[in-house]
Amino acid sequence: MIKKLLLATSALSLLLLTGCGQTVPELPGSTSNISDATAITGDAVSIDESGYGNGSGSRGNSSSDGFQSIYFDFADYGLSSKTERAIARNVSVGSKSSSKIKIEGNCDEFGTDEYNYALGLKRAKAVKDALASRGISASKMVLVSFGESNPVCSSPTDSCYAKNRRVDLRLMK
Amino acid sequence: MRYLLLLFVFSLHLFAVDATLKIETDVEHRSRISLEDGSAISNGKFFKTLLADLKISGHFLADSRQHKGDFKSSFVAPALKSQEYILKYTLTQSTGTKLRIRLLKASNGAEVFKKSYAIPTTAKAPFLAHKAISDVNDVLKYPSISWINRYVIYARYTGAKKSEIILADYSFSYQKDIIRGGLNLFPKWADAKQQSFYYTSYAGDIPALYKLNIYSGSKRKIASSEGMIICSDVSRNGSKILVTMAPDAQADIYEMSASGGGKRRVTFFNGIDVSGKYVDNESRIVFVSNRLGYANIFKKSISGSGVTQVVYHGRNNNAVDAYGSKVVYSSRESQKSFGNNTFNLYLTSSNGSGTRPLTTTGTNQFPNFSTDGTVIQYIKHRGGSSSIGYINLKSKQSLLFPLGGRKIQSLDW
Repeated sequence: MIKKLLLATSALSLLLLTGCGQTVPELPGSTSNISDATAITGDAVSIDESGYGNGSGSRGNSSSDGFQSIYFDFADYGLSSKTERAIARNVSVGSKSSSKIKIEGNCDEFGTDEYNYALGLKRAKAVKDALASRGISASKMVLVSFGESNPVCSSPTDSCYAKNRRVDLRLMK
Repeated sequence: MRYLLLLFVFSLHLFAVDATLKIETDVEHRSRISLEDGSAISNGKFFKTLLADLKISGHFLADSRQHKGDFKSSFVAPALKSQEYILKYTLTQSTGTKLRIRLLKASNGAEVFKKSYAIPTTAKAPFLAHKAISDVNDVLKYPSISWINRYVIYARYTGAKKSEIILADYSFSYQKDIIRGGLNLFPKWADAKQQSFYYTSYAGDIPALYKLNIYSGSKRKIASSEGMIICSDVSRNGSKILVTMAPDAQADIYEMSASGGGKRRVTFFNGIDVSGKYVDNESRIVFVSNRLGYANIFKKSISGSGVTQVVYHGRNNNAVDAYGSKVVYSSRESQKSFGNNTFNLYLTSSNGSGTRPLTTTGTNQFPNFSTDGTVIQYIKHRGGSSSIGYINLKSKQSLLFPLGGRKIQSLDW
């Protein structure tokens, strides 16, 4: 009885599983005699722009022309009270020059894609607003966000990452 | 006897569950297929490319052993009779690359299809593999997998304020520098034929959006913006683009014509609005915004003012792509300020329904739909190494190809 039942179970299960299979798709009956050279289109160009976009200074990314970099907390774009001295110095330097001031926003490597560039821009704008509120003409300042593309430090330490969450300032020449 | 009857019912239930699972995970019949190399000099890398193409198609159960055999013969070795098809091929590489293929029925050796391919270069050999498998797929009347023939364009950092833009096949076996030097980022295909792409250049005082033809080298400035300018999406016919820019030092999403004219501001928010992607027949966009205090996915119509939250899960969802009404996004699922965080990909719809995870481990970012919306491309970082990954949404097949060490900035497919 047990044997019969087990046999019946196996047979029924096999039927169930077989029923779920699907047939091979219909194929063209005869051989397709096709021979051609596939159009994998022509060779693409290579452009060298090494002459553009060089860094500024030996570290390639710190503030220059007497300005001082401003640092930010993780994922934040508000100015802390600790930045007051640096802001005051930058107002002093900026007010003495007739050149335009380039304000560069930077981020650490933990953001992604477009969001990190927007975060860098918010940081640059926070510094611009602080300088403008202290008398530097808004039309004299130009903002650029470099996102995570311009690190000053690449060691895997908190202090290193903190150096990358910054705004650099320099004169446009 | 009662226990035996219970066992009988339980057995039926088990088999029924398996059968249901089989249907769910194997929606279409997959053909069992073996590859047989008839080349004078065997090329293991080329075999692996063919094998990967078969696997990611989702339409084949590919035998991963590399068999050797006479290309011209229709003899099928007894060991391969259990397959449905044998794909015989011969690859010749001297000054150029020549590939010949024959598809045989394993049961009787009957030739179903044959074709030869030739290109005057050896570097682009992976494209011949992709084209051959795409053709075999079409001959067997499976849904198109023409996305495996497409180029990937991506930017990677090479140093501080330095990057390069590179052209690759989907498996990254073929790679060619398109722009070396300078800081050029966010490449985005401009047309369905992949003749031109948009990218952001930092060569001037402020960022500028350019369009470059990869064959002629002709380059045209589309627009520039103080702060940032990035092309986030291109309409299906290539006539309109979504751009994140900041003319008033405020990152918002704009729509403009492919030539840069007819600029229209789409989002208005005093925070961060980025990564606009067309959805719902291009009448709306999904985008990333921090309007709730953290990065998340929202939706709005191109012309209306109302904004709807799409994703109600996660505390940092900062990358998104869309196809039709399908939406894929990356969500940070660990709270470490620094170091490797877990980012997983989720698939949802533009109304936020049907959300399901696509990945469960590692750092998974930069999700991109294929041109037919059936496959998702992404970058995976895990255990100190990076890979380019593909998830076939229909077959649930996934593949990873290892990448070099340099950090990828963005990519498009």
